[in-house]
Amino acid sequence: MADVVFSSVQKQFGSFMAVDNLNLDIQQGEFISLLGPSGCGKTTTLRMLAGLEFPTGGEIKIGDRVVNDVPPGERDIAMVFQSYALYPHMSVGQNISYPLKKRRVPKAERAAMMAKTAEMLQLTPLLDRKPKELSGGQQQRVALGRALVRDPKVFLLDEPLSNLDAKLRGHMRTELIELHQRLGRTMVYVTHDQLEAMTMSDRIAVMEGGKLQQFAPPKDVYREPANRFVASFIGTPGMNIVDGALRHEGGRWIFEAPGISVGTQNLGPETRPGNAAMGIRPEGLSFGEGPIEGIVQLVEQTGHENIVVVLVGTDMRLTGRTAADRVWRAGESVQLSIDSNQAHFFEDGPNGIRLNRPLSSPGNQEAAQ
Amino acid sequence: MLRKIAFNLFAWSIVLAVAFPLFWMLVTSVKPQFELFRRPPTMLPETFTLEHYWGLLTETKFLSYFWNSIILSTTTTVVVVAIATIGSYSLVRFRYRGRETLAFLVLFTYLLPSVVLILPLYLMLVNLGLSNTITSLVIAYTTFALPYALWLLRSFMAGIPEDLESAALVDGASRLGAFWDVILPQLLPGIISTALFTFILSWNEYLYALVLVNSDEARPLTTGVMNMLISSFNIEWSLLMAASVMMSVPLIIAFAFLQSYLTRGFGAGGVKG
Repeated sequence: MADVVFSSVQKQFGSFMAVDNLNLDIQQGEFISLLGPSGCGKTTTLRMLAGLEFPTGGEIKIGDRVVNDVPPGERDIAMVFQSYALYPHMSVGQNISYPLKKRRVPKAERAAMMAKTAEMLQLTPLLDRKPKELSGGQQQRVALGRALVRDPKVFLLDEPLSNLDAKLRGHMRTELIELHQRLGRTMVYVTHDQLEAMTMSDRIAVMEGGKLQQFAPPKDVYREPANRFVASFIGTPGMNIVDGALRHEGGRWIFEAPGISVGTQNLGPETRPGNAAMGIRPEGLSFGEGPIEGIVQLVEQTGHENIVVVLVGTDMRLTGRTAADRVWRAGESVQLSIDSNQAHFFEDGPNGIRLNRPLSSPGNQEAAQ
Repeated sequence: MLRKIAFNLFAWSIVLAVAFPLFWMLVTSVKPQFELFRRPPTMLPETFTLEHYWGLLTETKFLSYFWNSIILSTTTTVVVVAIATIGSYSLVRFRYRGRETLAFLVLFTYLLPSVVLILPLYLMLVNLGLSNTITSLVIAYTTFALPYALWLLRSFMAGIPEDLESAALVDGASRLGAFWDVILPQLLPGIISTALFTFILSWNEYLYALVLVNSDEARPLTTGVMNMLISSFNIEWSLLMAASVMMSVPLIIAFAFLQSYLTRGFGAGGVKG
């Protein structure tokens, strides 16, 4: 059952279109990430769901109810803010029980629910402290506690981990995943960090320029990016994207760019000859024998692998991965080959759609074999 | 070392220069009449007396003026702070056409010299039948205290993260509830600063009081004391000094109590960033 539905939602600030024709179907109990660069409309989308912004068009539903005009407090949602937004003049305990107080939960019941939540988040010893006396991680827990205390239908999280240091962030990520599994509640999570989105979500909504680019499980977003933007946004190091042209020859397609020529059969029927782009992830490049000649420019050693940047021709840079024990020198000549089964092809333009056949389609199976 | 001593001497000489009139006011108020004009003057009173204070309280209308001033300043402060709080909330939180222009216009009225406004204001208040009342002074003081108060509170209000209010709304508060539960406590240092400022301004105001009120029932301390103790023939120096001391007392008390509030709460944590 769909729990949260956005139908043709738009939000305009003056002449600026922050969110444009957004359609999302979020299932009950799903963990959804809204992922994109800053200014892509993800936070506006979340704030519209929270009721802090009102859409200028379309319809937002929570459960069976259209909530376009419902004030935030009556939507049965809870939200964790990037800044935590803890009430500075209230103690930890008062912060956590504030939502209950506002919903006129009797005092005794309130205390019990607050104690239970505090226990779960290991905040019990801190209940009498003020927010400013807590560390960043503890403040984060209090913000979570204030959201968890009343068991809402949907949890909204606006970059909740972005103010934590790297180690704590990793730890809280695991905790959030566990929390989601335990509670089984719908969660909508806004982030610009693809690692968070990839590791935590059931599905990721990738946004850019106010538009939804793709809404799919992390694996699919990585393996079958809907367009060039998604392809280049997801993955570290990013996908290599090469501008060139496609032509049809002898029943197969050939992509050509200066110094590169890749043949493939698994493009969809809408493919037309002409300008296009090819994307290849670093792991799709193999070093050794190959038709592409280049010069090693830069090597990054991460410990378990080497990231190698190779200059091909005069201005094309391709990034590949190799085993950590292979020693590279800058300036060394290398030969590369591209695994055409791992190549993605896109229409011309910054948001050009992907032309490959879906991985599951029968034509693709043949091509892969 | 020598520099440090020179600097200290310099600093202390400034402090003395500023403090001396206050000291002289205090000393004069407790000297008996015959000691006042002695030459050379006595630094500390040879005979200590409180007769001027007693005289002021029992034989003059000082207490009634004092009471008028209290009512006047308190009412003005409450009215100004209430309007400025709500006004600054509107200026900071709501987006509407002409918001910035409005804020600028408000400041502009503050830039006009009060002498320019006093005649039109006087005529308006007479037409409203409010001449010679404390109410007329409350209205007049509000017109010049409000613009500044609004700007002062506006900057305090702008410093309160909007997320706090959003969080309260999501947590189930109404807009008014969020304002009451979250905004007001955060604004408290600003409110106290503004209140103190307004109170001092209305407590010390002279020009409007002189023009707008001409009866002892409504006269505040500033004009009252001048009226009663300075005639064209004589200035009652000792009574005047005693009155000045007593006029300063409420302000000193207010400062002493609220000073800690003024610094407390600035930058109180809770929002990281």
